[in-house]
Amino acid sequence: MEDFLELMVSVCEAGSIYGLVALAYQIVLRPTGIINFAAGEWAAIGAFAAVSFITWWKLPLIIGLPMCILAVGLVGWLTEVIAVQPLLKRDAPELSPVLSLLGMLIIYRETVSSVYGVDNLFVPMPFGFGRVELGSIAGTSQSFFIIITVVFSFTLVWLFFERTMWGKAFQAVAINRVAAALLGINLRLVTAMSFAIGGAVAGLAGVLLAPITSVHFLMGLPLAVKGFTALVIGGVGRVEGALLGGLLLAFVEKVTIRYAPIPSGLALGAPFLLLILFLLLRPSGLLRARGEQ
Amino acid sequence: MSRVWLSWLLGIVAIVALSLILEGYVGNLYRKLLLTVALCLSFNYLFGISGQLAFSHIAFYGIGAYGVVILTYKVGLPLPLAIIGAVISCGLLSFIVAVPATRLKGFYLALATLAFAQLFNVLLLQGGDITGGPEGISGFSAKGYFGVPSSGGAYTVVIAGILIFTFAILLLLDRSWFGRACRAIRDNEAAAEAMGVNIFRTKVAAFVVTSTLSGIAGISYAFADNYINPTVFTLEPLFLLLFMIIVGGTGRHAGAILGAVVLFLAPEMLEAWIGRHYLLGFGVVMVLVILFLPSGLIGLVDRFQDRLAAHGDRQ
Repeated sequence: MEDFLELMVSVCEAGSIYGLVALAYQIVLRPTGIINFAAGEWAAIGAFAAVSFITWWKLPLIIGLPMCILAVGLVGWLTEVIAVQPLLKRDAPELSPVLSLLGMLIIYRETVSSVYGVDNLFVPMPFGFGRVELGSIAGTSQSFFIIITVVFSFTLVWLFFERTMWGKAFQAVAINRVAAALLGINLRLVTAMSFAIGGAVAGLAGVLLAPITSVHFLMGLPLAVKGFTALVIGGVGRVEGALLGGLLLAFVEKVTIRYAPIPSGLALGAPFLLLILFLLLRPSGLLRARGEQ
Repeated sequence: MSRVWLSWLLGIVAIVALSLILEGYVGNLYRKLLLTVALCLSFNYLFGISGQLAFSHIAFYGIGAYGVVILTYKVGLPLPLAIIGAVISCGLLSFIVAVPATRLKGFYLALATLAFAQLFNVLLLQGGDITGGPEGISGFSAKGYFGVPSSGGAYTVVIAGILIFTFAILLLLDRSWFGRACRAIRDNEAAAEAMGVNIFRTKVAAFVVTSTLSGIAGISYAFADNYINPTVFTLEPLFLLLFMIIVGGTGRHAGAILGAVVLFLAPEMLEAWIGRHYLLGFGVVMVLVILFLPSGLIGLVDRFQDRLAAHGDRQ
């Protein structure tokens, strides 16, 4: 039982990270319809920013974390300006921005590898290696830090979408771009904002992940696949769907690795199987968008 | 004989002649170039002409290569039977993938087939004795069959033959009602359906044919190096194929060939100056082409030819 509870803490930890990456996809996907496969690379940039700001410059977390988030948010905004906005302006085919973002993915990865090299880099645990025990639930301090931060960020994003005028503008664009534009919503600004906020969210995922793994220039693509799987499981229409999808994906992944009677290398295939099953059987995900039948 | 046929014939003669002339490092490079062009042509039919962005193309290349090696080397079938077996496996597997996957739209198809490709890679790495795990399989050879030596220029002619076969099949398909149906679906699915095109069957057929062609190229790849390992069949080479097609000119055979040749040779030419950073260059070129040159390099060639023709008319 204790073993299982500890496993659940690590499921929540990993699920939170996947959920954040899924949220980064979702924030871009809803108003623009663009699947941004570079989201995993944004998370990687967040992790490398943490290497710069926290490991090398030795900034305290309270300053370093916001700086990382800001930096990746800026990268997200630049991505939109360079690779997406000109295509939307020209009315290019729907798939064009998706493909140009694949190009950006390679540009980011190769830039990062030429700036930081190809070796593993490390970020210190902000609260040390201590264990935290809450009754029979125990885990590292970083696990709890990740879980609390992610719950807080999801609440913030949820409030943004549900309670603010800006969030409503995003919703309106998600439902009907043309009608939203006629109502006086600035489509350009909404698109740019969605990339900036998506970048910030993915960057946060990277910063949180950095202390518990080694930071490596190839870390982005696996995160992109995991995050997208989480998004498909949870459904693209609701903020809380991304978190639910992340948790479910992490649960399946960790439980197969720990308990299934197959070699752990083979268990790495479980998320892909899950992605295929959901795409084919329930492409709308577990949670449907509000107002959808 | 018309001029068109003559130029085709000259092209084939040139490809085969080069196979026999080039040796050593350059000869090996030339084989890989031929295989890359074959893969680009079939991937271009799938993505550029039929409009299906599937990330499983390299996986089928791998299924062909691993299939034929496992059937000969591990199961012990004679080579001709193993080749037939590998082709049938590719056809069957691609059919099993295509039937559910072709219902998915746009990038969702890409992600479902990406999951399939990643699963295939996990199986290769974890296949133990059958696939050889991360080290792959080496030490097999196709010597003694059909009187074709598995090394040297004669084997390069076999690969050239497979490229020509691939191109011929794709051209035949493209110029028939099937090619028009594929393009109609790509451009407007609803309109194609209204014109009486069976969307589902056409998509599945295009997927199966192109994936099987990729598998056939994979079979010939296995005996090019007499060594196969999982890293050749990952997502990276698939991205490269996509880049080649987009840079060359999506949806046109000439574009696919041009893109494959340019992007395959570029790292070889530029390696002395930029080392392994050529990938960064590929990313930049890809984004620039999508932004400023939607018809690809072949579009530039067209424009140049038009200008030449216009110039000629004036004189």
